[in-house]
Amino acid sequence: MNFNNQYLKLYTLFLALFFIFASSALVAQQSDFQIQQDFRAEMAALNERVELAVSTQELEVLEEELASLRDRFSEYSAIINAAIYPDTFEASVNRAEDNRAAFAERYAVIEQLNERVDDLNAEMDVFRDRINQMTLESEDLQDQIERSAASESRQAALIRQYRQNIELRDSFVSDFLEELLMRYQTMDRSTHEGLAETTGRMDDNPLQVIKTIISEYINVADQTSGLETPDYLGMRAQHGYFSDVWGRIGDRLVNTFDPDRPVQAKQEVEDLLAAWLASVDNRLWNSLTTAFNQNNIQLGPFTSPQTFNTALNNYVDGGIEISLESNSEEDYRIYRNFRDFWNNTVKASWGEALVDGNILSQSDIAAIDIKLNSWGEAAQPTSRLMFILFLVSVAVILGLVILLLMKSK
Amino acid sequence: MLTKYLTTFTVIIALLFTAIGCGSSMVIQDVDFSQPIESVLTPDSDQMVHDQRFGIKFSIAKILDREGIQSVDEVRLIRNRAGYYFITADGFNNVYVFEAAERELKKKNVIEISSEGISSPAFNQRDRYIELVDRASGQTYNLDQTGRR
Repeated sequence: MNFNNQYLKLYTLFLALFFIFASSALVAQQSDFQIQQDFRAEMAALNERVELAVSTQELEVLEEELASLRDRFSEYSAIINAAIYPDTFEASVNRAEDNRAAFAERYAVIEQLNERVDDLNAEMDVFRDRINQMTLESEDLQDQIERSAASESRQAALIRQYRQNIELRDSFVSDFLEELLMRYQTMDRSTHEGLAETTGRMDDNPLQVIKTIISEYINVADQTSGLETPDYLGMRAQHGYFSDVWGRIGDRLVNTFDPDRPVQAKQEVEDLLAAWLASVDNRLWNSLTTAFNQNNIQLGPFTSPQTFNTALNNYVDGGIEISLESNSEEDYRIYRNFRDFWNNTVKASWGEALVDGNILSQSDIAAIDIKLNSWGEAAQPTSRLMFILFLVSVAVILGLVILLLMKSK
Repeated sequence: MLTKYLTTFTVIIALLFTAIGCGSSMVIQDVDFSQPIESVLTPDSDQMVHDQRFGIKFSIAKILDREGIQSVDEVRLIRNRAGYYFITADGFNNVYVFEAAERELKKKNVIEISSEGISSPAFNQRDRYIELVDRASGQTYNLDQTGRR
């Protein structure tokens, strides 16, 4: 037993010595040429993997592998330096590490941007769902309005509800545009360019959502029935706001979300905006003409903000001219009719929308107000009592004169 | 007579020293010719190898004749500190040692390594010798221009 133990110890010692010699022999058997070839190959492979890496995690792994390569080959740095002269081991490993760090930094930015894109995607999804829901509600209300033609009160209630739906949509879209304005008007150039590189994978970016919204607005303007002037004025005001926002951030949006064809993308949105305006205007001018006619105000024909302003001015100028000539009760009634409609409806109810919709400016309205005052003065009929008093006064004066003359004789 | 002889002798000696002084070449000692890493060269169809880095180009045809081999894929070449070139290749029995001369490589020595041929040889530059590694067997040989050490 004792003999066996001693034998085992000797055997183990011999085995250990054998492995030590064998491993030292293995080290000695290496070829310097092969070492530098291995170094070059590993370095080239690592550099290639750095170039092809697509995440910071991959680049972190590569950082460890580069450190490992440095450790493994540093004892052969003299051989490698000789082989890769004028380059050096340290310089080549440092260069690879610098390159890896630069990629890591770039990917960190890209990943941040990806997160922002994910957030944007989520926001766009919510927005699109809400808009779709509103569209469905609108269509449903529109159907109900058409079906309930028999009951005026029911139809009026549905139209009210429909208006509320449109106002809600306008408010929702306005909030969305405000959000876009805040985000993209203040975005710095580097973030904007970085975001442009990553938005390709967005299912529904803000640019596409804007196009969808405008298309929906065009459908509403084209297909809706039962709406009146204030509704169309509201639509034009919404168009004015939309156009204003687009003018401020349109370039940034197309360069961010459609960087390959920004000019074309911008033109597409502008064409949609023009189509939307045409659809609203088509209804608006008819509706305005009807509203004025229903209040016995026969304006000249108009099909644009300029011609509408001209028609208003011509009407008031014509009224002043007639009042100056005839100064009749009828002229005064016409003046009062226009004044009341102008003050109580056009200015009070539509004024803000007229200005927001770029139909009339504040100065246009003020100019009509000034003319209306002149018309009022011209149209005011002169009282007959004054004329009678004047005749009586003349008669009294003549009587007194005759009396004085007779007395003196 | 003796004076004339001494004068002639002195003049001859002076001329001889002048001639020796003018004709002697400059010699730089302790030159290290060592090539840090072996060159692995691929022969072309004319059995020429060209080491672009260390600037040498020669035919290996005679070496192949001597080894009785038609062709090799790669030739391994290294120069030691003394300036001798060591050449071998996969399947060679020997390492050939050459010294450089004017447009020549002169055989200095042929060091027999294995009668069965060296498998996957590689040269390493070491401080005082060239290390030949038989990477297949793991055996190493320390060589200089005189032979195995």
